[in-house]
Amino acid sequence: MKNNTNKITILYIIVSIILAILYREFFKIIIPSNPLAFSFINDLLFIVVSGILLRFVLHKNNIKNSEIYRKLKNTNNEIKESNERYDIVSKATSDIIWDWKILEDTMTWNKGIEAVFGYKQEEVGKSSKWWFDNIHPEDTIKMSIKLYSFIEQKTEKWQDQYRFKCADGTYKYVLDRGFILKDETGKSVRMIGAIQDITKQKEEEQRLKLLETVITHTKDSIIITEANLNEGKIPDIVYINPAFSVISGYTSDEIIGKSPEIFIGPNSNPEDHNTLIKAIKNKQECHIETLSYKKNNEPYWVNFNMLPVYNSDGELSHWVSIQRDVTEEKKQEVEKEQLIKELTQNNKDLQQFSYITSHNLRAPLSNLTGLLNLIKDIPIENQELKEIIDGFNKSTHLLNETINDLVRVIIIKDNPSIEKQSLLLKDIFEDVFSQLDFLIGLHKPIIKFNFEEVTFLNTNKSYLESILLNLLTNSIKYKSETRKLKINISAHQIENSVILIFKDNGIGIDLERNKDKIFGLYQRFHDYPDSKGLGLYLVKSQVETMGGTISIESKVDIGTTFTLTFKNK
Amino acid sequence: MLNKILCIDDDQITLMLCKMVIAKATFSNEIATAKNGEDALNFFDTLKTSDKTITKPELIFLDLNMPIMNGWEFLEAFNTEKYAEFHNTKIIILSSTIDPGDLEKSKKYPLVIDFLPKPISKEMLEYLKDKIQF
Repeated sequence: MKNNTNKITILYIIVSIILAILYREFFKIIIPSNPLAFSFINDLLFIVVSGILLRFVLHKNNIKNSEIYRKLKNTNNEIKESNERYDIVSKATSDIIWDWKILEDTMTWNKGIEAVFGYKQEEVGKSSKWWFDNIHPEDTIKMSIKLYSFIEQKTEKWQDQYRFKCADGTYKYVLDRGFILKDETGKSVRMIGAIQDITKQKEEEQRLKLLETVITHTKDSIIITEANLNEGKIPDIVYINPAFSVISGYTSDEIIGKSPEIFIGPNSNPEDHNTLIKAIKNKQECHIETLSYKKNNEPYWVNFNMLPVYNSDGELSHWVSIQRDVTEEKKQEVEKEQLIKELTQNNKDLQQFSYITSHNLRAPLSNLTGLLNLIKDIPIENQELKEIIDGFNKSTHLLNETINDLVRVIIIKDNPSIEKQSLLLKDIFEDVFSQLDFLIGLHKPIIKFNFEEVTFLNTNKSYLESILLNLLTNSIKYKSETRKLKINISAHQIENSVILIFKDNGIGIDLERNKDKIFGLYQRFHDYPDSKGLGLYLVKSQVETMGGTISIESKVDIGTTFTLTFKNK
Repeated sequence: MLNKILCIDDDQITLMLCKMVIAKATFSNEIATAKNGEDALNFFDTLKTSDKTITKPELIFLDLNMPIMNGWEFLEAFNTEKYAEFHNTKIIILSSTIDPGDLEKSKKYPLVIDFLPKPISKEMLEYLKDKIQF
């Protein structure tokens, strides 16, 4: 730059000198005398001085110019940098940036519109209409009122929450914030905004609100206390829900900041308090049933469950206790216990009564039997007397049998714990068959066994024998007259249970009509002279006394199947 | 054959039956009877004071359900020191009871050697002969 100034100055001096010389030569020709010889030196002087002046001016000018240039360059750089920064930010942010030229109504969006809402660049509208059209119908009026009053300068800042439609038709909750650019006259010309997806926060908020309704609407009382004991007392209350107020009569204001120990009354069990303190010290969950007192000193029973709550750092922050008023249940429980006590006593009395009655029946009967046994040894000549005594004998025998059956029923009902032993199924059946030798020999049934799965059964010998005797004699007694009697007996093991299946092809029982009565006392389903209606009742009682179950399937004239299930332990 | 037995029962027919069956089975020479527990204790009290030559019963058939003093009360009283000199006498409960608790209860008395159902019979006495071995 300096060189240029010098060059121009030198050029000016040289050109001026040449002109001055030419001028002097010209005058030499016109005026041959040399009156102007002196003036050439003058000219030369002038040229040099003006050259120096020119150089000075040029130099000053130069300095000014370079200053302006430098400034311009800086400004350019700043704009460039700023644009780059905008690009970087708008790329890096998860927000959706929009730019709205209000006067021309053109709107541009950054890539967030695709990332967050799923719109391809070509699907995005070019005007603000597209923006408004995608706002949830329920939010659009409220949102546009707020936005336009901002544009009209009635508000300073603009931010709003609304739902914005995604490309797939679902809505997302957004937080939109914007600022406005004005022209020299103060008119709004451009607006730039950033949309944030707050769907997750909103959903969390709604979830929390929903959870809160549980606390405020539940019928169970909820108390939240601080974490640590307050001078050895149960920690102070920080929250109670409305249900607690309803039950206890205390309002939030009266109770917050106080220890729940004010609920303890004269009849509360001091042990419950110790249990609570211990649980709080050990930071352990605690479950008790305790007598609590209302504001009006009325006691009530609460079922009380206290749980420790930890903050995100894993430190104990609060105790939440859930309480239920169980006064009514307690009362019922006491009544129930009383009832059970009375029933047990009644039952005992009845049992004693039945023992005495049967004793009193059996005593004279045993005399009859004994006396008749004595008569057997005495020869009787008189035929009539012999017949009378014979009848006597039979009747006594029948009476004895009936009473013995009844006694068996009474004893089973009264003897729930019976001794069990492990027995070979085969042995039990052999025993039973030997007792039924006569009947089996008479009717010759086809009997099939399948005891492959189970060989041993843990059972009471006399009960199981009695059960099998009853079932077998029933099968024989109620066999079909037209078919040969077939009896299938099998045993199966299923997990811990043994299942005995006892199946015959006899005349069967009409279960449609008799389902409820089948195992009842004195229920007879066939008009046979020797059926007393006691067998199946005894069988069921004995099965159940051993902790088993019995079920029946039967079809008239096809047969009957009994399924007995025992726990084999 | 035993020399003497005592039957304690409030029922006259039972006592009669006992006497007849015992006689038929030649089970004992002598049969004494008492109509309840108290009566039986009196019987032993008399034995105590009387001549030592009178035979003591070797066996008692005891009914449980009796008025004034029942079988259990008799056992309680008889089991004391007062009657220690008679504790060689074995007791058999002969009852029509069906209460399973009675059998359990009888096991608490070592003097009771058996618990049998009524009625008394020749077979029962044969079985007892084997059991007691005399």
